[in-house]
Amino acid sequence: MKIFRVLAKTLTAYSALVAAGVFAFAVVVTFIVSAFRGVEISAWNVVTSQIARWFLLWVGVYVIHNLLPIAVAHGRTRREFLVAASGFSVVLALAMALVAWLGFVVEGGIYAVMDWRADEHGTPLAYFLMFLVWCAVGMFCAAAFDRFGAGGIFSVPVGLALAVVTTAGIPGSGNLPFIRNVPVLLGSGWHAVSVLAFLIALAGTWAVARDMPIRLRTT
Amino acid sequence: MRVDVQGLTVRYGDVTAIDDMSFSLSGNKIYGLLGRNGSGKTSLMSALAGYRRPIGSVRLDGEPVFENAAAMGKVCLVRHSADAADKGDKVSYVLEYGAAWRDTWDNAYALDLVELFKIPLKTKVGELSLGQRSALGVVIALASRSPLTMLDESHLGMDTPTRYAFYDALLNDFMAHPRTIIISTHLIEELASLLEEVVIIDNGRLVLQEEADVLRSRGTEVTGNAADVDEFTAGLTVLSERSLGRTKAAMVYGSLDDEQLIRARQLGLELGPIALQDLFVHLTEPVGGKR
Repeated sequence: MKIFRVLAKTLTAYSALVAAGVFAFAVVVTFIVSAFRGVEISAWNVVTSQIARWFLLWVGVYVIHNLLPIAVAHGRTRREFLVAASGFSVVLALAMALVAWLGFVVEGGIYAVMDWRADEHGTPLAYFLMFLVWCAVGMFCAAAFDRFGAGGIFSVPVGLALAVVTTAGIPGSGNLPFIRNVPVLLGSGWHAVSVLAFLIALAGTWAVARDMPIRLRTT
Repeated sequence: MRVDVQGLTVRYGDVTAIDDMSFSLSGNKIYGLLGRNGSGKTSLMSALAGYRRPIGSVRLDGEPVFENAAAMGKVCLVRHSADAADKGDKVSYVLEYGAAWRDTWDNAYALDLVELFKIPLKTKVGELSLGQRSALGVVIALASRSPLTMLDESHLGMDTPTRYAFYDALLNDFMAHPRTIIISTHLIEELASLLEEVVIIDNGRLVLQEEADVLRSRGTEVTGNAADVDEFTAGLTVLSERSLGRTKAAMVYGSLDDEQLIRARQLGLELGPIALQDLFVHLTEPVGGKR
C-alpha cells in the first residue's frame, strides 16, 4: 500500500497538472487559430486522442525503468512494486479519463459561447481503456528493455499490437490497419478486446520484471 | 543480522563473477569486503541485497533474501552511485522515498547528515557533484538504519575531509545502533581502524575471512637500520619495503618465532603490526603477477 500511495499521490497529481497546462495551451491555440480561420475541430480531442496516450506510455516506462529499482533499493520486493504499479495504472487511467471528460465539458462550453464547431470524440470508457493499455504497454516494453537490453526490441511489435487496438473506439486516433470494419461490427464489445490487451500487457510486465536483476546505474 | 552464503554463483553470460562462494557473517560488526577491480564485490553485495536471483543460497537471519519482503526490508545496499535516487529527482524527494518506503528510516538523522555533508536539498541529484552524490548515497545507507547496511565503494567520490566526516558518522551511528555493516573499499588503510572483520575475495572466490586484528598479526613491520633489516628479513617473505636515509621498513608476511624475535631485539629492530593494505596486496593477485 505504501508504494501505491506514493505512485498515486505523486504521479497522478503530476499528470493532472500536466493535463491542465496542456488544456490551457490548447484553448489559447484555438483562440489564435480562430483569428485566422473558422474552428471546426476539437483541440482537446487532438490532445486526448493523439498526445495523451504517449504521455501515459511514458508514465508506464518511468514507473518500471526509474521507480522499480528505487523501490528495490529501499528494500521493497518486485512483487510488492508490481502489485502497486498494476493498481496505479488503473487509477491513473481513470483519473486521466476523468480529466479528458472534464476538458471536453469545459471546451464544449467555450465552443458553444464562441459558436465554434467541434468534431466527434470518444466515450470516457474508450479513453480510460486506451490510457490503461498504453500505460501497461509502456511498463511492458520498459521491463523488456531493462531486462534484455537491445533484445527488448522484440517487445515493441507486441506492445504496438496491444496499444493499437484501443484506438479503434476513439475518433481521430487512427483506424486499425487491415481490420477496419471489425471494431464497428463488434460495437461496444470491442472494449472487451481492450481489456484483454491490458491484461496481456500486464501479464507480460509481470513475467519479465518479476525476477529482473537491478543493474548498476551510471548516474 | 546474520548472513549465510552457501554455494553462491553469479554469472553474466559466459563470465562468472562469483564462483561457488560460501561464508557466514555472525553480524553486528563492521565488515570490510576487499577485492581488486572485477573480483566480484558488487555482484556479491547485489546478491546479498536481493538485487538479483542467486544461484545458491543467500540467507539473512536464516531467511532467503530474494523477493522475500521480510528479509529485503532489512537490507540496504548503496553501490557506486545512489541506486535509491533518480537523477531527475530533487534531494528532498529522494529522502521522501526513504521515509515513505522504509520502515526503519530515520528522517531526522537523514536531514542531519544532509547538513553535515552540505548537500543542497532543492538540487536535483543529476546536478550534484560526484562527491555530493557519493555523500547522498551514504546518507541513504546510514539513515536507512537497516540491520544489514552495505556500502559499495560509495564514499570514493568524496574529498578527504568529507570522507573523514563519513567515518566519524559511521562509527558514531554504529555505536548507537549496532548492526551489520559491510563496506567495500580500495581506501583500505583509511578504513582499517573501523573494520572488525575482513573478507577478501578474488576472481569470484573467497580468499580469506578473518578478524582484522588476527589478520594484522599475520605479518610484521620491521623497522631499523637498513643493513640490519636486510639481514633480518633474508629468507622471509617481504611484501614491501620503504627506505628513508639509513632507516628501512620492511613488511614481512608470516608469524615470527621466538628465535627471530630475540634476534630482532639484538639488532635493535622495531616490530609493529603490518598494514592491512600490504596484506591485501599480497593475498590477491598483484598486477605484476607475483603472489
